[in-house]
Amino acid sequence: MIAGGHGNQNPNEDWTMSKGFYMFYMLVVAVFHLILLSIPFISTPMAWTLTNITHNLAHLYFLHIIKGAPWQSIDSHEHIRETHWEQLDSGVHWTLQRKTLISIPIILFLLTCMYTRNDEIHFIANFISLIVCIIPKMPSFHHRRLFGINKY
Amino acid sequence: MLQAESSPYIFSVLYDIIFQAPTYVIFLELSLLLLVIWIIIHKQSNGGKHLTQKQKEEIIKNWVSEPLVAEIDENHPALQNNHIVDGPIGKFITVDGIKCLNMATHNYLGLEEYPKIKENAINCIHKYGVGSCGPRGFYGTVDVHLELEERLAKFMDQEEAVVYSYAFSTVASAIPAYCKRTDIIFADECINFAIQKGIDASRSKVVYFKHNDMRDLEKKLQEQAKADQKNPKKAAKTRRFLIVEGIYMNTGEMCPLRELVELRAKYKLRLFLDETVSFGTIGKSGHGITELLCVDIKEVDLISASLENAVESIGGFCVGSHFIVEHQRLSGLGYCFSASQPPLLTQAAISALDIFEQEPRIFEQLNDVAEKVDEQFRYFTKLELKGHPLSPVKHLYLKHVDDLEESEKILRKIADECMKKGLAVVAAEYLPIEKFPPKRSLRITVNRLLTADDISNAYKIIEEVSKSIA
Repeated sequence: MIAGGHGNQNPNEDWTMSKGFYMFYMLVVAVFHLILLSIPFISTPMAWTLTNITHNLAHLYFLHIIKGAPWQSIDSHEHIRETHWEQLDSGVHWTLQRKTLISIPIILFLLTCMYTRNDEIHFIANFISLIVCIIPKMPSFHHRRLFGINKY
Repeated sequence: MLQAESSPYIFSVLYDIIFQAPTYVIFLELSLLLLVIWIIIHKQSNGGKHLTQKQKEEIIKNWVSEPLVAEIDENHPALQNNHIVDGPIGKFITVDGIKCLNMATHNYLGLEEYPKIKENAINCIHKYGVGSCGPRGFYGTVDVHLELEERLAKFMDQEEAVVYSYAFSTVASAIPAYCKRTDIIFADECINFAIQKGIDASRSKVVYFKHNDMRDLEKKLQEQAKADQKNPKKAAKTRRFLIVEGIYMNTGEMCPLRELVELRAKYKLRLFLDETVSFGTIGKSGHGITELLCVDIKEVDLISASLENAVESIGGFCVGSHFIVEHQRLSGLGYCFSASQPPLLTQAAISALDIFEQEPRIFEQLNDVAEKVDEQFRYFTKLELKGHPLSPVKHLYLKHVDDLEESEKILRKIADECMKKGLAVVAAEYLPIEKFPPKRSLRITVNRLLTADDISNAYKIIEEVSKSIA
């Protein structure tokens, strides 16, 4: 696919803001959670923790690890070394979609805490996964590769 | 207590959850909740620029539009040397009403001897009109295009060919189709302007090596290899390209393809060969430099060539393996976004290829004439000949003048005088934005139909004029 024919040079910047995306997002998380809940030997707190950790790992992988765009850009891959998060809204911070994508993991974490009744082990696991997924979203980590992780 | 645990009221459950938790958990959760609220309220930063209405008006007031057409200097060379050419261009050319022997245009093979080409082109107009003005992928493809591609691939003994509608855009789109921002290109200093533009468009890192200097190239490759060893992760993601011309348009020299192929294997390079001049001129059957130097054509990753020089049509083409060529049909900008080659010109190219295949002796004749010109033109008193003996493009440099501007003026005068005396030659013109401004020269092109008399006659005219001017 070649990008830029009739619109954005890099459609990766804003397809997450397209109509129905967040409905789809919520549904995927909810269905995944319901499937976990329906497995007999997984308790309710366990299901919530698993949902939360999987969700955060998915964020980490799709937003902060894989780079470039599935679209072939005609101006020879400006974004070849940028993660999806860095490409959002041409790198402008605190836009609506960035705010949304930061808020979702936090709210999910708070919900998980409530459903696990603040159990210590669950809390620690969930909190670590939250930190891992929130820190790379901070503006000061834009284009920064800690310890050269995922540099090329 | 018992009541609270099994309480049906959600609030008492929540109350339990919150007040049974350790304090630090509650603290963290509260601060996260506050963070969410802060994020939602936080305003998108505007780069700290908030202009008042007054400031805005001032900026608008102070803005001056640039003129659509910039003023042109009266001494601009384009306004000075205007020559008008009448009639068809062949062995002879009519410049400003004077019939001149043609050593200026790039029709090396003198295909005007074959009226069949013209006839076929005219028949093609009757059949297809003058072209659809559509790109190849969008109603622009006519069966002759496919035929030409097939014929070119067969002629060059490669898997596939892709035809562009303009020679300049051939190589200028083929390069950025492969080379991207993270790649490295090794290129000769004297590459022609189209390749330079292609390299610019690719945005890759470019390393220029000295003209035809294999030692310099190897040194630069070794430097790169060392840098790669230090950072193998990065090196694994960078591709290295080598871009050379078969015969350099700007110098008339031939590239040492055998050494280049060896370096390609040693340093894992991808080799692009531009045969703008060498296609249809050298080699036993006109296949270009790979045939002349007996290099396996599979060793070259991509060959691009022009249909405007030896073939005397308009357009260009790339040949290579199926995968390499097919990539250009979606990524070659000149292929995707410009109108297809007019069918009559495609037909002319096919007819020229017919002649190439049926009468390979024309290449031998051209090489003979080129060698003869080379022998004779070595003896100018004021001018120095450079270029490979077999090359149909040769350059005459001033022996005693090194300054670019001055030599350009003198050479233009020489060219003008020669045209008045019945010999068309040109002072090679370059744009000021060339990467390495080439030394100015008088560009000689060799036509297959030149006789020994013509050559000595041309020699006399140039010698006489250059002696009186330089």
